[in-house]
Amino acid sequence: MPPAAPSAPPTEIRLKDLGISAAPIEFVARIVTVERREVTRRSDGSRRPLLSGLVSDGTATVRFTWWDPPRDGIERGTVLRVVGAEVREFRGRPELTFSWRTRIAPASAVEMPVLDPAQLPRRTVRELTPPDEGFQIEVRVVRIGPRTVTVGEERRVVHDGLVADATGAIALSSWSDFGLAEGEAIRIVGGYVRGFRGRPQLVLDERSTVARIEGHDLPSPGAWLTAAPTPIARIEDDGGGAALTAEGLVVGLLPPSGLVYRCPTCHRSVKSGLCRIHGEVNGQPDLRARIVLDDGTGALTVNAGRADTERLWGVTLDECRARLREQPDPSLLEEQLLHALLGRRLRVRGSGSKDDFGVTVAPDSIEPVDVDLEAAAAELAPRLGGGS
Amino acid sequence: MARREAAWRVTARELESSLEEEKGTGERAASYLLSPFGARMNRVLVAGTLLPAEPIGRDEAQAFWRARLNDPTGAVAITAGSFQPRAMAQLRAATHPRSALVVGKVHLYRDRSGVGYVSVRAEGLRSVSENEERAALAEIVRQTLDRLDLVERIEKGAAPSEAEARSEGIPLGWIAAARESLRRYPGVDRAAFRRELRSAVRRVAGETQPVPSAGPPSPSVTVTRAPPPRPPPPPPTAAERDEESVFLDLLDEVSEVSADGYADLKELLTRVAERGLVADRAEATLNRLEEEGVVEEPIVGKLRRA
Repeated sequence: MPPAAPSAPPTEIRLKDLGISAAPIEFVARIVTVERREVTRRSDGSRRPLLSGLVSDGTATVRFTWWDPPRDGIERGTVLRVVGAEVREFRGRPELTFSWRTRIAPASAVEMPVLDPAQLPRRTVRELTPPDEGFQIEVRVVRIGPRTVTVGEERRVVHDGLVADATGAIALSSWSDFGLAEGEAIRIVGGYVRGFRGRPQLVLDERSTVARIEGHDLPSPGAWLTAAPTPIARIEDDGGGAALTAEGLVVGLLPPSGLVYRCPTCHRSVKSGLCRIHGEVNGQPDLRARIVLDDGTGALTVNAGRADTERLWGVTLDECRARLREQPDPSLLEEQLLHALLGRRLRVRGSGSKDDFGVTVAPDSIEPVDVDLEAAAAELAPRLGGGS
Repeated sequence: MARREAAWRVTARELESSLEEEKGTGERAASYLLSPFGARMNRVLVAGTLLPAEPIGRDEAQAFWRARLNDPTGAVAITAGSFQPRAMAQLRAATHPRSALVVGKVHLYRDRSGVGYVSVRAEGLRSVSENEERAALAEIVRQTLDRLDLVERIEKGAAPSEAEARSEGIPLGWIAAARESLRRYPGVDRAAFRRELRSAVRRVAGETQPVPSAGPPSPSVTVTRAPPPRPPPPPPTAAERDEESVFLDLLDEVSEVSADGYADLKELLTRVAERGLVADRAEATLNRLEEEGVVEEPIVGKLRRA
């Protein structure tokens, strides 16, 4: 890229308006993540330091590379005024490069663009896709709860849950405690969307704001727990969903189903006495069923855990182990489980994600469904047309 | 990404009526059986009375079993071989007729005369209670009616848009299947088929008993259905008749002077071209003559009168 003409004064922009242009740009943004690295120059083998990470001004988050940065003082949360950065495109998205031509100075948070919530576009849950940010959204909290996670060496509390509007539901992950409670209607400003296990997730952090609203047009929290089933073909088209309901017949089981052994530390399944992470372990017995559920429009996999498997099968883990002592062939158990489930009509609620093998559901509930035969016949008869 | 094929809910009658195939191309591509009633099936789910199975073939290492499944609308052959050991064990286990659900892949076999035989190669099979069979039949009939409604809607030119399909819960794959049904089976009486589902609804309501084990009279387990007759080709025009006579005159001339008595195709086409018959017209004329059985090509590139 040719050096910009020194006469052209840089124009201050918002990161959401970042485009590929030779004109020098100026912006104020906060560092969201940063990592220090060194690259080896091919010409003389010398080491050159660089910082890379993400900067955000609340309108967009952009990857940056900073060559020959200061030795310290640049960390997560630092606000910078950047003049004369270069913009490049990588995989269709703009990226920033700070070189010797770029002037960078610390700035104060008050210099950041002021986000007037009224100016931010309003979005619905269905519209959210990673890496959206700089929007506002009104949702109902369906479910929320704290969870402790380890980030690097730090232990932090994250509030996980599910929020919904009339168009759908999305997983929520809040790194700040907004005191959210189930059933509340809220307006979120300054959240962003990321992909997590193949599904979009709405993330809140200390830059986000949450306001309580009336939310008359938002669905009740229970609405998501009593929703009618969605055709599986549509669930497949949507790539799963944070709160889905499906109903179908069991048409098969995928391996491993039945009696499995799990690592006592991480609960991963153990193969040949080896855990993928912890090596040789003494596997703990467990029951599971990977159910293929089919409603005639499509099929998905439901990963049922021990409690659901025992309830649907009517056989407990202990009984399984007793059977195994009598008949030391675990594949017989899988066959008995398949025979108990095949053709059963089940209604499943949970969250689903999609990979190369289709949609897999982590169930919140699995319930057998009874069909009212008289009602079904009465509903079908008028659809047969005239004549005999 | 290859989706798992959904198990289409179909009646035996719909399977009996399905004689058009869509062969997949490329590695591990799925093939489909197209029905006149909007199904594009690779995998199906059927419910009915399953009769005791009989072994097919004498090779014990390649065991293969076949049974007949009756539902209120018709019958279909259920098969299982050594590649479906569990389904085969279930199929063999029965010594008397019982209610059953079968999930499997459809298979169309055509014999030399072009008669089609549809069967279902079972992947999963379970004996069920009568109520479970009726519940499955209710779903089969409901989805069959949903598909028929969709086919009729498209036939009237009122195909649902993508947004309409979404809000009405119509799978997009069904729309494509319905269009293909209309294309492959023009002029099928779908209203008659709809009325035939009455017997299935009676069974759902519990008004009739399971389909008798004897079943409707049929000489074999498999159901034979002739392929739909092709419309006869239009009679040749006078101009085409002229081209044919030119072609045949030259054929006789060329074969008379040849050493083996055959007319060399290349030489013949050159001579035909000299008489003003361009290449694609000559090709069409030759095809017509071969189809009518006037000319044959016993050796590649060598023609003679039949």
